[in-house]
Amino acid sequence: MRAAALALAGVAWLAAGCTQPEAPMARAAPTVLLPVPSDPTIALSVSFGVGSQDDPPDKEGLAYLTGEMLATAATERNAYEDIIDALYPIASNYSITVDKEISTLTGRTHRDNIDVFFELLADAYLRPAFDATDFERVKSDAINYLENTLRYASDEELGKAALTQAIFAGTPYAHPVQGTVAGLRNITLEDVAAFYARYYTAANVTLGLAGGYDAALVDRFEATRAALPQGTAPPDPVIDPPDWDGTEVVLVDKPAADASISLGFPLDLQRGERDFYALWVANSWLGEHRNQAGRLFQVIRGARGLNYGNYSYLEAFPAGGQRMMPPVNVARRHQIYEIWIRTLPNNQAHFALRAAIRELRELIAGGMTAEEFELTRAFLDKYVLHFAETTAERLGYAIDDRFYGIADPGHLQRFRETLAELTLDEVNAALQRHLRYDNLKIAIVTGDADRLRTALIANTASPIEYESPKPPALLAEDAGIAEFALDIGPGQVTIVPVAEIFAR
Amino acid sequence: MLRSLALILGIVYVTTGTHAQQAATGGRLIAFPTHAETLDNGLKTIVISMPGSGLVSYWSIVRTGSRDEFEPGRTGFAHFFEHMMFRGTDRYPADDYNQILTGIGASRNAYTTDDLTAYHFSIAAEDLALVMDLESDRFQNLAYSEADFRTEAGAVYGEYRKNVTSPFFVLYEAVMATAFNVHTYGHTTMGYEADIAAMPTMYDYSLDFFARYYRPENTILLIVGDIEAPPTMNLVREYYGSWQPGYVPPKITPEPVQAEARNVAVNYAGRSLPILAVAYKFDAFDPSNRLRVAADLLTEMAFGATSDIYKQLVLDEQLVEFLAADPGLNRDPGLLDIYTRIKDPSRIDAVLATIDATTERFKTTLVAPADLDALKSRLRYGFLMGLETPDAVARGLARSVAVSGGLEGIEALYRAYETISPEDIRAAAERYLDPNRRTIGVLRAQP
Repeated sequence: MRAAALALAGVAWLAAGCTQPEAPMARAAPTVLLPVPSDPTIALSVSFGVGSQDDPPDKEGLAYLTGEMLATAATERNAYEDIIDALYPIASNYSITVDKEISTLTGRTHRDNIDVFFELLADAYLRPAFDATDFERVKSDAINYLENTLRYASDEELGKAALTQAIFAGTPYAHPVQGTVAGLRNITLEDVAAFYARYYTAANVTLGLAGGYDAALVDRFEATRAALPQGTAPPDPVIDPPDWDGTEVVLVDKPAADASISLGFPLDLQRGERDFYALWVANSWLGEHRNQAGRLFQVIRGARGLNYGNYSYLEAFPAGGQRMMPPVNVARRHQIYEIWIRTLPNNQAHFALRAAIRELRELIAGGMTAEEFELTRAFLDKYVLHFAETTAERLGYAIDDRFYGIADPGHLQRFRETLAELTLDEVNAALQRHLRYDNLKIAIVTGDADRLRTALIANTASPIEYESPKPPALLAEDAGIAEFALDIGPGQVTIVPVAEIFAR
Repeated sequence: MLRSLALILGIVYVTTGTHAQQAATGGRLIAFPTHAETLDNGLKTIVISMPGSGLVSYWSIVRTGSRDEFEPGRTGFAHFFEHMMFRGTDRYPADDYNQILTGIGASRNAYTTDDLTAYHFSIAAEDLALVMDLESDRFQNLAYSEADFRTEAGAVYGEYRKNVTSPFFVLYEAVMATAFNVHTYGHTTMGYEADIAAMPTMYDYSLDFFARYYRPENTILLIVGDIEAPPTMNLVREYYGSWQPGYVPPKITPEPVQAEARNVAVNYAGRSLPILAVAYKFDAFDPSNRLRVAADLLTEMAFGATSDIYKQLVLDEQLVEFLAADPGLNRDPGLLDIYTRIKDPSRIDAVLATIDATTERFKTTLVAPADLDALKSRLRYGFLMGLETPDAVARGLARSVAVSGGLEGIEALYRAYETISPEDIRAAAERYLDPNRRTIGVLRAQP
């Protein structure tokens, strides 16, 4: 009964409408269609196979600026302020998500207004004007984001960006999607136009349409593909992150900052693979995003109150501080297994870091218990229904399914089906195969870099004191955490002044 | 944190509307069947039926936020309670509570603002009774030890640390403290840092706070989704009927009328472009106050995405990164504020002068009827497109329900929007955009 009700409740959409072949990265394949006749709104998605991995050396940020010049700038037919005026009374908007590998223009409108909206959206990717005044604004905003916001007003995102840079050092994945300061300064409007001509082509686009649309709109939408230059889908650059030996640490030295920590390593799994889904279960138990039941949350915040939250991830989760559910359209060929320890006092950073890595070790070594496995499985079976409650979110998943080559009925439904079959042994074996607690990269934004460096290298004990009495079992556990060895050698800690990070 | 978060995201609040809905539903704002009922103990419940989704969004809205923290040295407690509410009861200790909610895959969270604290769940409809059992239990029987209390105080301090890395938060905190000398809106939802640091010692006070404010007369249940009212109300009576009333209203001192402009300069320890805040004293939410209603539309027309000043400062001259204006929807008189981040520190005065020129123009010139119509169309479609999921509906209504005590206030507001004329907007500009009743805040990075 419970299962039947749930099927009616949430799964219908998972199985509905979407027809697509199993063909990895088959851009320029048929349009992704998700008809929802009862939905009075229409969602559109135009996803190009281009991202920051395609930025030329010394022009990091070119993919980002190009995307923004489509989504927040003039077209050949309309000045940007006229576009804003036209979108205003229909309460609609389009925007672009530029990520490492794909750039996805999305918009949603009420079907009363689809004609007005569709023309504006189509103009954005077919007829960008590359106006010089718009370019000046978009470029200056991007530079300000790196120089002011990321470096000085967003320590947690900075920590994550520093981790990505450390793990993918020397590859086109290393720099932030927004670029580097020097790269952005180097970029000209001519670069943007040439980049657009190369990558924004019929051969390199995936179209998606969802909601209460009609057949005529499908035809009009598909005609825009024909209006793009045919082009070719350029080959994806090789991303081969360097190996390293022993745990390495980057300390981003930011005066007066508390500690914001991210750590991880490259993960050799993709959604669609059975082990990915097995690992999903274990990772959810360890650190489901923004969930109080996660083990890391319980150990560091729940029992000890050290910070606001602690989570772990199998896939990129940008802007984690601003969202509850995973984002769409950040599909990547390469992922990081990542643990995020939210901001805490510098004098507790070493302890929290040890606690997190120790939990990771315990999970890999001991596996989940049968009870934990069953509870987490029950949780995820319903929780994933919240990942894509809206038509636009479902479309986002369907577009990403194209990227990963996942056929009907798609990633989320495949996960739920696999979840029903998985065994505890499979999950625990996947943990052993894919996760590790040594040879990590760690990034810490901190105002106490020198002391922390010394303590990490010397493996100094890091006991903490509490405001309140704690149970003996917790204090005993603390003693183990405070001396937990991280094996970080003197040559394995780098200090980067915050003013220099992402400079070039 | 709602207001400062909105600032960061560049959200302007006047984004919902309802005209098409009214045509379809005989003048009612919400197109879905709604039911409101108050139990004998004072607990009000609003049920909105959205068949077909299989989901329910379950909101417990306590009409207490940082506004109710009127005692010196006790700021931040409303938000702190948001944390303590997850510490369990005798019947469902925290671990059991977590385990049960985990087992049903609930998406859950809570937030605190100046006027309310909201606890919300998105669940499968079949789990409604279970969640109501858990929620009614913790609202009546919350029990936590002093040790748990002290531990959670550490997590709250961690949240403050996370927030102060944002220059917007730092400026917002300073502007509120300057604009309000006696009213509790003078402190943010986080509370003063000294009070947060002292929280671990205030266990006994926390029990008083709970006993005063977490009462049925001060709470509204907003339940939206794949449910019908009669069986839902039966559950509400079963689980909440025995909740004892006993609400003690806070003793909040009204803010005296501001007679002169105020200024606050913030030296920011990090690096940031300058941020300018211009905050005018504003009236409390009241849909029968015609000028207050008109001011919502004025704010959007004067400073929104299609305004002349936006085009000038953001698009053409590019003096600022963004411009966001917010007519506060508050229970007591609050602020109508404008925030902008300025690219060149030497141009702060020029930006302020442009804002002043804009306010003067709206006091003397009538807006074009076509522009007003475009805004009304935007409100209509914005509302329609927002009715997408039970959670979106509940989230969109929660603040107005908390501030006004029900759905009637927001329904009346949207009816009133339809009647606003260009003359009303000019009168609202004259009334509210008064240079003597504003606070100007400027955040600059330390040299």
